[in-house]
Amino acid sequence: MVARSLAIARNDLRIVARDAFPVVLLVIVPFVGMVFMKPAFRPTLRAEGLAHANGAEQAVPGMLVTCGFLLVSYVGYGFYREHAWRTWERLRASPATTAEIMAGKALCSLALAALQFVLVFGAGSLLMGLDVRGSWAAVVLVGAAFGLFVVAAGLAVTAVCRTVMQANTIAYLGTLLLACLGGALVPLSLLPPWARTIAPAAPTYWAMRGYRHAIEGGAGDALAAAGVLLAGALALALVAAWRMRFEQARTGFA
Amino acid sequence: MTRVLVAEGVRKRYGALVALDDVDLEIAAGEVLALLGPNGAGKTTLVSIVAGLRRADAGRVEVAGCDVARDPHGARLRLGLAPQELGVYPTLSVRDNLRFHGELAGLRGAELRRRIAEAAQALALERLLARAARTLSGGEARRLHTAMSVMGRPALLLLDEPTAGADLDMRAQLLALVRALAAEGTGVCYSTHYLHEVERLGASVAIIDAGRIAARGSLDALVGRYGRAGVELRFDGPPPPLDGDRVSDTSVRVATREAPAEAAARILARLGAETRRLRAVELIEPSLESVFLDVTGRRFSVNGHHAGGGEDDDGGA
Repeated sequence: MVARSLAIARNDLRIVARDAFPVVLLVIVPFVGMVFMKPAFRPTLRAEGLAHANGAEQAVPGMLVTCGFLLVSYVGYGFYREHAWRTWERLRASPATTAEIMAGKALCSLALAALQFVLVFGAGSLLMGLDVRGSWAAVVLVGAAFGLFVVAAGLAVTAVCRTVMQANTIAYLGTLLLACLGGALVPLSLLPPWARTIAPAAPTYWAMRGYRHAIEGGAGDALAAAGVLLAGALALALVAAWRMRFEQARTGFA
Repeated sequence: MTRVLVAEGVRKRYGALVALDDVDLEIAAGEVLALLGPNGAGKTTLVSIVAGLRRADAGRVEVAGCDVARDPHGARLRLGLAPQELGVYPTLSVRDNLRFHGELAGLRGAELRRRIAEAAQALALERLLARAARTLSGGEARRLHTAMSVMGRPALLLLDEPTAGADLDMRAQLLALVRALAAEGTGVCYSTHYLHEVERLGASVAIIDAGRIAARGSLDALVGRYGRAGVELRFDGPPPPLDGDRVSDTSVRVATREAPAEAAARILARLGAETRRLRAVELIEPSLESVFLDVTGRRFSVNGHHAGGGEDDDGGA
C-alpha cells in the first residue's frame, strides 16, 4: 500500500512542481502578512500581559493558519484535475486501491503543509524575531495536527462537492471566516464577546491556541489543542470516507 | 487454454435503458478479440465493468482468475486499460507519465527504466521522452496514452478505440504492438470502429448489438457463417418488391449464393420499368462488414458514416 501511495504522492508533487507559482505564493503571502501585522499586534499582545512580545507571536502562527487553510482547495485540485485531464478513470483502473489513492493525494498535500510550516516558521524565527520560549517540539506537534486537519477537511470538502468551483468557494470563504473567528487574522482579545464565545467552534481557534501556548510555554495546553485538531481531523476523514464516491463524475474546471 | 477474461451473464441498466443484457464473453491468453458494435451498443459499458469502473447489476466477471467484484485489486493488478478518451498528465513529461503508471504497477529501479524504454520504443516515443505531454500532437499523445496502459505487462489489455483520430504511422505501430503483446500471451480486448484493423490483426470477433453479444467467433468462421454475398439496390423512393431485406426507406438488400455480379445482372433484368428509379447498385462480397450487416441488420458505421474498410492504411504492419 505504501509504495503505490508514495507513487501517487510523488506524481502529484511533480505536477505541483511544474506549476510552482501558487505554492510560492502560499509561502510569500504569509511572510508579507507577517511584516505588516507584526507591529500592529505588538501593543495588543503586551496589553494581554505578554511584556516581552514583539508581535511575531501572533503574526507568524496567524498568517500560517490563515494561508495554511487555503490548502483545503489544493487537496481538491488533486482530485478535480484528474477528472479534467481524464486520468481519473485510468487511475481507478490501476492497481492502486481506493485507500491508496486517498492516502497518496493526502500525502502530497501534507508535504505542502509541512513545507509551508517549515518556511513560515523558519522565516518567522530568523527574520521576524519570533522567540519560542516554550517548546519547538510542541510547535511541530501542533503544526502536524493542523496539517492533518486541513488535509482531512480538503478530503471532506472534495467528497461532498461535485465541481471545483463549489470546493473552491467553500475553501476560500471558509478560510476567511474561520481565520477571523479563530483569532488567526487578529488576536481573540480584539473580537467582540459574542465572537469569543463561539470561537472554540472554529478549528483555527485550536490551532492558534496550540501555537500560542507552544510558543509562550504552555506545552500542556498546546498538546490539548493538538488533540482537539486531531479529533477533528479524524471526524472529517470519516466524513470523507463515507461520502467519497470514486465513480461519481466530477467537473474539473467549471 | 488459460482464459484471461471470463464474463458470464453480465447485465447493466441505466434507468430504463438496458446497456448490457446477459453478456457472456471469454478471451484466452494470447487472443486478440475485436469488440465491434454500433455507437451505444454497450462496448464501453462492458469495458468499464471489466476494468472495475462500473458495477454490473448481475453476472460475474473474472480477469485472469480474479473476480472483479470480490477481488478488484487482484483484477486490476492483471489488467491494463487505455480508455476511449485521451488521459495523460499534460504538464508532466512523457517519461514521467510512463514512470507513474510503471510505479503503480509495482515496477522500480532498473526494471522500471527498462519497461519505460520498451514501451517508448514500441510506440516510437523515444525522442519525446523529455517533452511535456501538453506539447505533443494528437497522435503522439494517443501513443503515450496507449503506452501507459502496457507498462504493467497486463494479462488482459483493454483498448477502447485506440486508433481514434490516430495517424497512419500510429495505427501501424499500435497494431504491431498488439500483435507482439498477444504473441507474449497477453489477451487483448480491442474495441474499434475500423473493420480493416480487425482483419489486419486476424482477431477473433465479438459483435455487440443492443447490449447483447450477437455473434462471436474467429473471423473466418463468422464470415463463413454469416458473411453472405449480396446486392444492395437504392431507388428514388420506396424499393419495388424484391426478395430481399429493406435496409432503409429507399434501399433493399438481396442475399445471394452466387457471385454478386451475376446476381446483380439477374436482378436488374427483372426490374423492368423500375430500373428508371434505380439510383445505385452495390455488390457485397462476404467480409466482416457483410457479417456485421447480416448479424445486426445495419451497416457498420461511425456516427452514421460508413466506416467499413477501404483504409488500407496500416502499411501492412
